[in-house]
Amino acid sequence: MPHQCTSCGRTFPDGSKEMLSGCPDCGGNKFQFKPAGATDDVPADDAGRASGSSPADDATDRRPSAPADATPSDQAESTPNDQAEPTPSEQVGSTPSDADAPTESDGTEQIADRSDEDTAQASARSEVVSPDELDRASREVDAAEPSQLADEETQPGIDALRDELNDQFESIRIVSPGQYELNLMELYDRQEYIISLQEDGRYVIEMPDAWGIQDE
Amino acid sequence: MGLLTNLRDSISRVTDGLFADDEPKRIGIYGPPNAGKTTLANRIARDWTGDAVGPESHIPHETRRARRKENVEIERNGRKVTIDIVDTPGVTTKVDYKEFLDHDMEKDDAVRRSREATEGVAEAMHWLREDVDGVIYVLDSTTDPFTQVNTMLIGIIESQDLPALILANKTDLEGSDVQQIANAFPQHETIPLSALEGDNMDEVYTKIAEYFG
Ligand SMILES: Nc1nc2c(ncn2[C@@H]2O[C@H](COP(=O)(O)OP(=O)(O)OP(=O)(O)O)[C@@H](O)[C@H]2O)c(=O)[nH]1
Ligand SMILES: [Mg+2]
Repeated sequence: MPHQCTSCGRTFPDGSKEMLSGCPDCGGNKFQFKPAGATDDVPADDAGRASGSSPADDATDRRPSAPADATPSDQAESTPNDQAEPTPSEQVGSTPSDADAPTESDGTEQIADRSDEDTAQASARSEVVSPDELDRASREVDAAEPSQLADEETQPGIDALRDELNDQFESIRIVSPGQYELNLMELYDRQEYIISLQEDGRYVIEMPDAWGIQDE
Repeated sequence: MGLLTNLRDSISRVTDGLFADDEPKRIGIYGPPNAGKTTLANRIARDWTGDAVGPESHIPHETRRARRKENVEIERNGRKVTIDIVDTPGVTTKVDYKEFLDHDMEKDDAVRRSREATEGVAEAMHWLREDVDGVIYVLDSTTDPFTQVNTMLIGIIESQDLPALILANKTDLEGSDVQQIANAFPQHETIPLSALEGDNMDEVYTKIAEYFG
């Protein structure tokens, strides 16, 4: 369920054209992107285990339940990516010598972000999490193996989510938390635009017809 | 962040838009991070309205949300030109929190700044597509203007047929090279200025009136 109206909770398959003119149900113009498999329901303890699941496992687990209108080529293309060698930028991002900041700060920020988000959006989200999705999420946690290094700069379980976001929204590439590559042409060409990007792969987008900016 | 608050804000913004008629031209101040866009926006706003637009900083990506100052009335040669100025976040193809660590920032803050900066670029690009009637493109004249970002943005501006002024800022600095900017974008008029010192603002206002009036 990649996108969800933030006011009435209606969900839209990825790329749904319906969203472009606002939510058909309530007229809302903000939609939250939620990668398949992302749940807030995973307690902090389990998040560590989830990080063990390899991107490839997550991907294969998740792909089959992708929305019906996801194009076959999307799925085919992304799978090799998920399994193959890390991209050069990812290697740059995780150079050991760069890890000078204490790793606890990563964890702390992550948890803080997560709970902020929970409070703000819990009600909207809880109405729409499908049993299917919950099921998938729990399978992912079950399948997790503690195989990855703890000192990795990436956040728990984030790799697969990042890949999925990158596949679906190629205008911004999350290299690692705090490191982004932007495709300006793509950002310019897209009708909708991101207003809130979250490290766990979520973002909230706003449709253009209701668009305005802060006045001073 | 309060999604509902944002939603309400955006609804009220829409209704604002619906009932306002005969809007002044909306001029986006664009350019790479740290070029002096906000310094310029503040100077224009202070000169003609008395208010400021937003904080300036030597740390890049200080501006991470577009900010608008409405109804700035500029008088030139007995003629009045009213514009809305939009100070936009600096546009870049790469944002890296490590860049901010050099500025004595904690990692958490640096990562957050970098995320907001990325959102800001998305916002700036969106504005360019949808919502500006003209562009003031600000460059730091002590840096190389031949960059991918500049080429791409100027290209987009041209493809949209938006009136555009190129400002070569920071002429008060030692290494300032206005000619290099003029050479990089020969199809546009380049105006030198120091937004910080207020040098050559008269010409800037004359050109604003001429281009966007
Ligand atoms: N010497 C000099 N410094 C300037 C001038 N204009 C701006 N600056 C300085 O350049 C730095 C960046 O200025 P800002 O106005 O914040 O730059 P910006 O383009 O808005 O940057 P972002 O918001 O990060 O995209 C600040 O330290 C300013 O004081 C100028 O004309 N001369
Ligand atoms: Mg600024």
